[in-house]
Amino acid sequence: MIDVSAFNEALGIMFSSVGSWGWIVPGLIVGLVFSAIPGISITMAMAIVLPMSLYMDFFSAIVFLTSVYTGAGFGGSVPAILMNIPGSPSSFATTFDGYAMSQKGEHNEALGYALFASTLCGIAGYVLLLLVIEPLADIVLRIGPVEMFAVAIWGMMLLGSLGSTYISRGLLAAALGILLGTVGMNTAGFTRGTLGLPVLLDGIAPIPAMIGLLAASQLLSLASRDYIIEAEGSREVSLRKILKGCWGTLKYPGVLLRGSIIGIIIGAVPGVGSSIGNLIAYAETKRTAKDSATFGKGNPKGVIAAESAVASGEGGSMATMLALGIPGGGATAILIAAFMMHNIVPGPSFIETQKPMVYAIILNNIVQAIVLLAVGIGFIYVASNIMKVRTRYVLPAILVIATLGTFAVTGEAAGPITLFVFALLGYALNRYQYPVSAVVVGILLGRMLETEFLRSYQLSGGNPLYVLERPGAMAIFAVMFISLGMTAWGKRKQNRAEAAEALALRQIQEETRAAHTTPSKG
Amino acid sequence: MTHFTRRDVFKISAGGVAVASGMVAMPSILRAATYPSRPINVIVPFATGGYNDRLSRAFIPYLEQELGQPLVIVNKPGAGTQLGNSYALNQPADGYSILCTSAAPYIPLTVLLQNAPYKIEDFSMINLPSRDYTLAATSSGGPVKTFAEVIDKLKKDPTSLSIGVQPASADYANMVLAFQAAGIDASKLRIVTYDGGGPARNATAGAQVDVGFVGGEGFLPLKSKVRPLAIFAAEKVDWYPDAPLIGATLKTDFVEGSQRGWAVSTKLKNEQPEIFKIIVAAVEKASKNPKAIEALKLQELATTWYGPDASNKAYLDNAAKMAKYVDLLK
Repeated sequence: MIDVSAFNEALGIMFSSVGSWGWIVPGLIVGLVFSAIPGISITMAMAIVLPMSLYMDFFSAIVFLTSVYTGAGFGGSVPAILMNIPGSPSSFATTFDGYAMSQKGEHNEALGYALFASTLCGIAGYVLLLLVIEPLADIVLRIGPVEMFAVAIWGMMLLGSLGSTYISRGLLAAALGILLGTVGMNTAGFTRGTLGLPVLLDGIAPIPAMIGLLAASQLLSLASRDYIIEAEGSREVSLRKILKGCWGTLKYPGVLLRGSIIGIIIGAVPGVGSSIGNLIAYAETKRTAKDSATFGKGNPKGVIAAESAVASGEGGSMATMLALGIPGGGATAILIAAFMMHNIVPGPSFIETQKPMVYAIILNNIVQAIVLLAVGIGFIYVASNIMKVRTRYVLPAILVIATLGTFAVTGEAAGPITLFVFALLGYALNRYQYPVSAVVVGILLGRMLETEFLRSYQLSGGNPLYVLERPGAMAIFAVMFISLGMTAWGKRKQNRAEAAEALALRQIQEETRAAHTTPSKG
Repeated sequence: MTHFTRRDVFKISAGGVAVASGMVAMPSILRAATYPSRPINVIVPFATGGYNDRLSRAFIPYLEQELGQPLVIVNKPGAGTQLGNSYALNQPADGYSILCTSAAPYIPLTVLLQNAPYKIEDFSMINLPSRDYTLAATSSGGPVKTFAEVIDKLKKDPTSLSIGVQPASADYANMVLAFQAAGIDASKLRIVTYDGGGPARNATAGAQVDVGFVGGEGFLPLKSKVRPLAIFAAEKVDWYPDAPLIGATLKTDFVEGSQRGWAVSTKLKNEQPEIFKIIVAAVEKASKNPKAIEALKLQELATTWYGPDASNKAYLDNAAKMAKYVDLLK
């Protein structure tokens, strides 16, 4: 639990280095702008500013970098909501309901919901982190391949809630995605499907592939319109409506809480990153919601669920980094490097000897989340103006920026080529009504599914009863099946009720018809 | 060996033309006399934040002092350094591209296992200050106390302990060599593979696997969470003194884990010996600069000066050993 004297010292560090607070706003803006550009991920944004932070003193550097991280956690949802193109993989689930809302002319509200969910759960994540950083770190180390495999399966369940006209095509698309996700050298050192290209040894780069798949279909469908939203009256940018969305978030405490818990736990697991938490949080919220039929058609709960998991995942990821010196994802790997460049090695000894500093970093993150509220409102107010620009100007600009973004990672043509190939694939999938999002989920989860399944197999020596030795994995599977069973039961009851209702309605109709027809007979 | 695609031929001839035109315009001695006259690229075949990236960023201020020109870090990650190494070899051999890489085990591994389009001799070492060794370790709370115990248990029942290791790595070769020497049937072991040292270390510290064979240096931040069982080094390792040497328990051959530091293309060394000398002298001076030593030590980075001859020998010896045991890696 919290160490009071260290906490007081942490406040001292915070207030004695007020100069470093000046880095919060620039950091947030850098994070927001970079992550709102499709094709540039949080990791990349941080890699770009890392060398800059070398010239700052330690606390300023950490404040600046974590501010970029906090800002980037939200920025990706702006293009997701306005254009159906996620700025980074972690805002993929935000597109499902966010874009649907903006098509209904509720983009202001949707952005408000996303921002508030993001900041509130970001704060919640860090507060929890302040309390349980050490026990959490120990639990995280105990999570093994079987548990991770269970989590990956859970992520795949999202497919069921994506909805498509044909089940068979949905499954086929998911299978294709998983296959694409396993291209490259696997964890046992076998190389598959690289076509002899060295760049594919590390697998297909997920960001250009995702942007290609989603953006191509989206941009082509937008090209036939004059503006992103067709109804002229809905294209307004309204501060009042943004604030209304912000306020509206508070009506769904259950969704916020569930998203935060899922986000923190998944974010804390090393090597998973934030791109899976949002998928699971969305799927779970949809499954348990009474109005699940309206998900994907512009239900604010969908936006809130996805964003809450992304933001709280940052706290989880930060916990693993500080307590164990292990990066939860690419962005925290950069943060570790920044620590080391300032002669500090995060890990168990760092937390023991420098607890005030750890608390100061966490507290500063809470401050950042609060500042993000103000900066974020300004940012979405400016960004929403894209709605007023004709698509003929917006689309080419987005294509050029996305291509540059994918090129910027390594400075190799591999990024843009991946983007182009997957854009063609995305177009073909759309043309024949295969759900593109199922392919994306497959690409994001395929590698993890395979790796963890393989490791579970190796660890157990092929004995399936090994799962009985892993209570954690059994608990995850149990929760998953119970939640599935309850949904199925609920659906059955609902179907029955609906059938009964329909029957009653038909009877009434028949009776009235009979009542109308009988007299004419006579 | 020499099957060139049209693209290769184009690249080689284009590179040749560029070099040739450079040579025509400026005789070798004159080029050396003006070297360096513009910023120099430091190619790091890893992403930002890795060991080599940190090493290069911490070291270049001191190298800049010696060379009198700014150094620019170019990160070219991917395919186990193959992309960055190929990129470095494709640059003109004029001294304006220096590699900061994990020469061992990655250059031999990419050549032996990935058919990389270069040879081990295409790289010449300037200095390889950082040496890492395979460490066999277990979780600090685990039941196993010594490496002898591991061998005893596995001899009785090869499935009794699970083992975490990165496939196709020096660590993997060391694990197989040790178990062969101990007479353990490696085909029956429960080996869990990890695609990187980091995940394998986490699995060891978290007791996901009973014993992990991973590069020891990365364990330092997690030192309190693991118990070292054996380190695959010939002499006591100064950054991990409490790790028992493998020789104390078992007589076995082993491969050095990692050799990281500064290298250039052999083409530069042969064609521009004057420039090569300038670079070597600058790295030597910077490595011996007390300020550099102090600054790098704080970041747990190595600055030891071995020199090009000793470094090259260590690199070639390691590569030869890897080639000898290549069948174990597959």
